[in-house]
Amino acid sequence: MTEPLAWGRRYLMCPPQHFGVLYEINPWMHREVAVDPDTAAAQWEGLAAILRSAGAEVEVMAPHPEVPDLVFTANAGLVNAAPGGGRFVPAHFRHPERQPETPVNAAWFAERGWTVDRLPDDLDHEGAGDALPFTPAGGRTVLLSGYSFRSDASAATELTRLLGCPVRPVQLVDPRLYHLDLTFCPLDDRRAIVAPLGWDAYGRRVVEALVPEPLVLTDDEALSFCANSVVVDRTIVMPATPPRVGRQLEDWGFEVVECRIDEFLKAGGGCRCLTLSLDTVLSPTPPQDDGT
Amino acid sequence: MATETIEVTGHIVDSLLLAKILDTILEAGCDYEMTDVVIGKTSLDPSSARIVVTGDDDVLGTLLDDLQVHGANRVAQEDATLVDADLDGVLPAGFYSTTNLAGAVRVDGTWVPIENPEMDCGLVVRDGHAETVPMHRIRVGDRVVVGSDGVRVQAPSTARDTQMFEFMASEVSSEKPKALLVARVADRVRAARERGGKVLVVAGPAVVHTGGAPDLARLVDAGWVDVLFAGNGFATHDIESNVLGTSLGVSVAEGVPTEGGHANHLRVINEVRRHGSIAAAVGAGFVTGGVMRACVANDVPFVLGGSIRDDGPLPDVITDTAAAADAMRARLPGVQVAIMLASTLHAIATGNCLPAGVETFCVDINQAVVTKLADRGSHQALGVVTDVGPFVRQLADHLVGAA
Repeated sequence: MTEPLAWGRRYLMCPPQHFGVLYEINPWMHREVAVDPDTAAAQWEGLAAILRSAGAEVEVMAPHPEVPDLVFTANAGLVNAAPGGGRFVPAHFRHPERQPETPVNAAWFAERGWTVDRLPDDLDHEGAGDALPFTPAGGRTVLLSGYSFRSDASAATELTRLLGCPVRPVQLVDPRLYHLDLTFCPLDDRRAIVAPLGWDAYGRRVVEALVPEPLVLTDDEALSFCANSVVVDRTIVMPATPPRVGRQLEDWGFEVVECRIDEFLKAGGGCRCLTLSLDTVLSPTPPQDDGT
Repeated sequence: MATETIEVTGHIVDSLLLAKILDTILEAGCDYEMTDVVIGKTSLDPSSARIVVTGDDDVLGTLLDDLQVHGANRVAQEDATLVDADLDGVLPAGFYSTTNLAGAVRVDGTWVPIENPEMDCGLVVRDGHAETVPMHRIRVGDRVVVGSDGVRVQAPSTARDTQMFEFMASEVSSEKPKALLVARVADRVRAARERGGKVLVVAGPAVVHTGGAPDLARLVDAGWVDVLFAGNGFATHDIESNVLGTSLGVSVAEGVPTEGGHANHLRVINEVRRHGSIAAAVGAGFVTGGVMRACVANDVPFVLGGSIRDDGPLPDVITDTAAAADAMRARLPGVQVAIMLASTLHAIATGNCLPAGVETFCVDINQAVVTKLADRGSHQALGVVTDVGPFVRQLADHLVGAA
């Protein structure tokens, strides 16, 4: 018997009022492909509604005209909702286009009483888009962190210090799968959807050692973005459901809900990218403040 | 070859980052040595490793850029600290003590190669050049490297001739097939000469006692020796054996003591002193054979270093040991092979001045001499434990042709 994820019941989302493909920073983005704002808004509302009906709480942050990708809240930063005081490490974006998002996100968390810890200026890390926790049954939570396209391997050491949990960096090697959350989706305390296409040989071995029962995606399945899904208890909300993947998830007892968000796929983002889990606990006690 | 130090920290074991970095180094054709590895005790403690990477200059730069992606960063390099010497012949406190390995000093952000690697010296930076300077030659105002920041040395190259080294690099032993060893040494001498390198011979008096002097003279006459280092004893007995037919009073031909022979070497030294120099004694026809005559006749420079127990000494012997060592240093540029023949003290003195890149063969009947040389830092020395007379004869037969 597997235990469902202990997190993923409370999400932060940002409506797509100002969303559009205004620049190209991943292979999916093409400025000539216009986003239909009405469809985008409807799809976003649809996702929020599905999450709520699956039992999750959705908090909404105000959109900002200067930063169209604020809608992808997964990249806001890393959350450690440790008992006794939540901590938030805002992302340091590699691309100048997204860097103005950092102060907006940091302010949102600070205003709500979270302790905001910043990474050193010279380290890039794109938040929960590039780092997802896995907690094996009876083991401690490990943060799997992708690096190369958007985040630095060296950020892992600093994140361990700030978040109080081990961070294992794995190298992302396929530019189409530029964030870890396109290659990895924790399902419960034994299982995760994994896309080896995105990782180098060492990364594959790291995930193999971490996840007892992986749902291994073929390359085509991986490129459908089906790993970019949101898990609420036993419900999984997917931007696409390759038949084999859907059957396997249902065999495991998950309720699979497909949510159309293709306006956001134009920017290279899926369901997970549009959400940030606010109840992720990375360390049982908040890390010691060493005054640095 | 260049060397850089990198550092990587974090969960480098669980994430296989360390394995990946080490594999990447080897795949690039470079080598590494882990100098400091700290493995975290709990799953939260980060581990760290300091890795010294060695490789070709052009490969190393790219490799380090690649490794940076995996979080391995160059250890911050600083310029060497330079302190002005405030007394002649005295190095500033905390001076960097050199090794005999090739290396470089970082000055104003640039790595300046050490021009004349020599162990146990100070390192002086002058007009953008870095050189080793023995303590007694330090002058007020010399800019001396202090501490070890900004100094790097290169691991000795093993690329010279692996087969040779596989054959000889094992323990010094008296139980090696000598004929083969001699042939290999002859090959190395030939190879060095083909590269334009010089051959240095350091000779002890046993070369003469064991009847090897005529063969060494053959090598000098045939042009195989470019520089000779020896002491009063070797030169004296070489001349004695040619003028009087004895070495330390014992007939070289018959092996029996001659009457009054105990004073033979003194009489010879006395006569050479009367001529004023070995060259003058050769010129006057007093010395008509032997190694010293061959050196004079062929303009092969020699340095005779004195010691406290020397009789005479011969007029060419430099009795100031620091000056003798300086004279030896002056003859070292260009030397690529050093053959040390049955000489303990001069071999060690020479070894102290030689860069580690010079192929060094130490021939002695006593295994301890080779060990001593290595113990004093001349790790490049390869030992041939054998009677020196027959060794020199066979070497001359190989290089000059059977007599």
